[in-house]
Amino acid sequence: MRISADMIFWIQQKRWLLIAFGLGGLLYHFIPGPSGLSPEGYHILIIIFMTLILILKEPVPLPAIALQIIFWQVIIGGSTPNEVGSYFMNDAVFFIMGSLMLAVAIVSQGLDKRMALGIIRITGNKTWRIVAGFTAISAILSSFVGPHMITAMLLPVALTLIRFTPKSSKSTSGLTAALLFSIAYGATIGSIGTPSGGGRNVIMMNYWAEFGSGSLSYLQWMKMVYPMVLIEIPITAFIILKTFPPEMQILDTAVRRLSVEVAHAGKISAREILTVVLFALILLSWMTLSEDYGLGSIALIGIFLYMALGLVSWKELNRGVNWGVILLFGATISIGVQMKNTGGAAWLADLSVGFLQSVIPDIDTLRAIVSVALSGVMSNLLSSSATVAVVGPVVLNLGGDPILLGLASVIASAFGYFTAVAAPACTIIYSSGLVKAPDFLRAGWKMAVMSVLSLMLVALVWWPILN
Amino acid sequence: MKFLLAISSSKYSGPTLRAGAMIAQAFDAELNVVYVGAKLKGLQEGPLDLSRENLAKWNIYHPGIEVLKWAFQELKEICPANDELKSAEFNPEHIKEDQNRYKLILPTTKGCKVQLTLREGELIQELRDELQLDDYALTIIGGSQGKRHMAHDLIQYLPSSIFVARGLDLKKKYKLLLLVDDSEATKRSVTFGAEIAKTEHWEVRTLTVSKTKRFGRGYSGAAKKAKAALEKRDIPVEQFFLTGDPVTTFVDFSGDDHIIIMGASTANPLKKLFFGSKPIKTLERSTVPILIVK
Repeated sequence: MRISADMIFWIQQKRWLLIAFGLGGLLYHFIPGPSGLSPEGYHILIIIFMTLILILKEPVPLPAIALQIIFWQVIIGGSTPNEVGSYFMNDAVFFIMGSLMLAVAIVSQGLDKRMALGIIRITGNKTWRIVAGFTAISAILSSFVGPHMITAMLLPVALTLIRFTPKSSKSTSGLTAALLFSIAYGATIGSIGTPSGGGRNVIMMNYWAEFGSGSLSYLQWMKMVYPMVLIEIPITAFIILKTFPPEMQILDTAVRRLSVEVAHAGKISAREILTVVLFALILLSWMTLSEDYGLGSIALIGIFLYMALGLVSWKELNRGVNWGVILLFGATISIGVQMKNTGGAAWLADLSVGFLQSVIPDIDTLRAIVSVALSGVMSNLLSSSATVAVVGPVVLNLGGDPILLGLASVIASAFGYFTAVAAPACTIIYSSGLVKAPDFLRAGWKMAVMSVLSLMLVALVWWPILN
Repeated sequence: MKFLLAISSSKYSGPTLRAGAMIAQAFDAELNVVYVGAKLKGLQEGPLDLSRENLAKWNIYHPGIEVLKWAFQELKEICPANDELKSAEFNPEHIKEDQNRYKLILPTTKGCKVQLTLREGELIQELRDELQLDDYALTIIGGSQGKRHMAHDLIQYLPSSIFVARGLDLKKKYKLLLLVDDSEATKRSVTFGAEIAKTEHWEVRTLTVSKTKRFGRGYSGAAKKAKAALEKRDIPVEQFFLTGDPVTTFVDFSGDDHIIIMGASTANPLKKLFFGSKPIKTLERSTVPILIVK
């Protein structure tokens, strides 16, 4: 009897795995592919369909999802193991790996205490200035180093401020939400600013190179996208303050106590200086050398130097890096390339454009809407990087200017404001237990509207000027 | 003997914790208090771990650890006679990862009968995993588990007896209502009920329900045996024999001042999944605490 109860439990727990593979099997064996799509393209789309279900519902651990992408490509996707392997590791994956390692190396140095002191010195003790300061600092720093590192560093600062606020946590819910969202949304809007702001940016750059769609240098990217970040910073702070009005206008006691707390850190050490200098060098190299050496290789040089100088140990890196994510991005990029090679991406692009053309006759507008809507919606369900890995090849097959459409898609994939799972920064603040899922909806829709308008402004006014 | 006690928050789990501690004391059992927090998407696991590690440097811990800290302080108050617990201190730095969970090591409590555990994931899966790590006799859980599938999953998938502390008010004077039939589990229910009744000095009633007016030899024999077993321990017992739909009768009879104790069903798991069982339906419909003995 126990065995059968265990079996029922297993089936119940793994139902989405069974559904995904069941539907995949059904499509593969019994339903012929649509006309205009090669059998290989059809099979790749089946794998992507199964993978999306698995990523959404996670009935198996993330690395297992990555592994099934690899073996299905060999079994039904018509690829050889070597082919899959050759697309698996590239500069984008090197960059994701390197940036995850850099985050561990830098966060472990305790620079957040210095950062806290710096922010307080700039903002003073007025609540609105602190919220605006957190938003601006998060956005600017995350645009260079990625949102998860900055959120990990700023969250304790915000939580310490909240802890030192002389009121019960219930009566400071507005203040708490305002501080936490200023970090998360600040980091999210900033992550589009430069190629190194997020893995998805580098994935798109990799697709441009892989598909022969052109390229953008680090500085060209900044020139095109950074104005949008600058526009969004004050509006984001305003939205947050209006959505979550803080109960206290001045955080005098909390700021004073935080200053005392961080003052214990003492004078800046040689180790900390070295960490900052090294990172500044990496940043400079990304800006000036990435066209020749790639962002990923430079990140790996940085990690090598951090280890060589004894600033971080392999044990720390090994513990702090989620290798499953690296495996997953390698696998999704490899299937993204196969989607393009087999014609699956072009077929999906034609389908989505054809479907909407009767509603929106202007093809350029339609392409822009499809790329933004597809990325914006999917990033709220998956994550921004996974979205770009899957949606990127489709967007680049829509026709029109692949650079502009790719950029629009990458930017829209950062519009994951509605849920706690869309962006790492949102997940991190959600895990504090101090903000709830409905809070993301309350502020998220305003952020989405603001971001779409900012994107339109930049795309319609700024990009034509640059061209 | 070892019991598992699942808590969710300091706001809602107070009565469950007190009831759990009380039952554990009655049986002189070891109590493992477990908090199961939501597990976030695997894609964000790395950044989350990095953030948590950094927060710990600022002495800011996982929200679940705050709940465990609260539980620890409450247990100290609930069990004043537990000298080991009294001398122990809660230190979040003593939380160690072990077998996909976090365990709080209480270093100064040699022989202490309390454990604190933090898990992340889906509730039933995590409780099941925890129960499989040791030989647990009972799982105690709060009362918000009213959904059809939660009632089914709790009873069907947790490999221990289950006490659902629904609507439990420890200031109230409860009577124990032992549901007696000819099943194997009735005997164990009586033993369990007798132990609690003896310690808490609660009144005991037995209820036997037949769908027809005729009570077969099995039913009346089981009721007789239950009475004998309870009286042997000097526990006075009132017996009731009613006719009607068993689940409706159990629910109506229990009102709001009984704690129901009943045996788990031995029916086919597939049948239970689709059609339920007496314990599942009683758990779904009743508003009082209920103990299902396996």
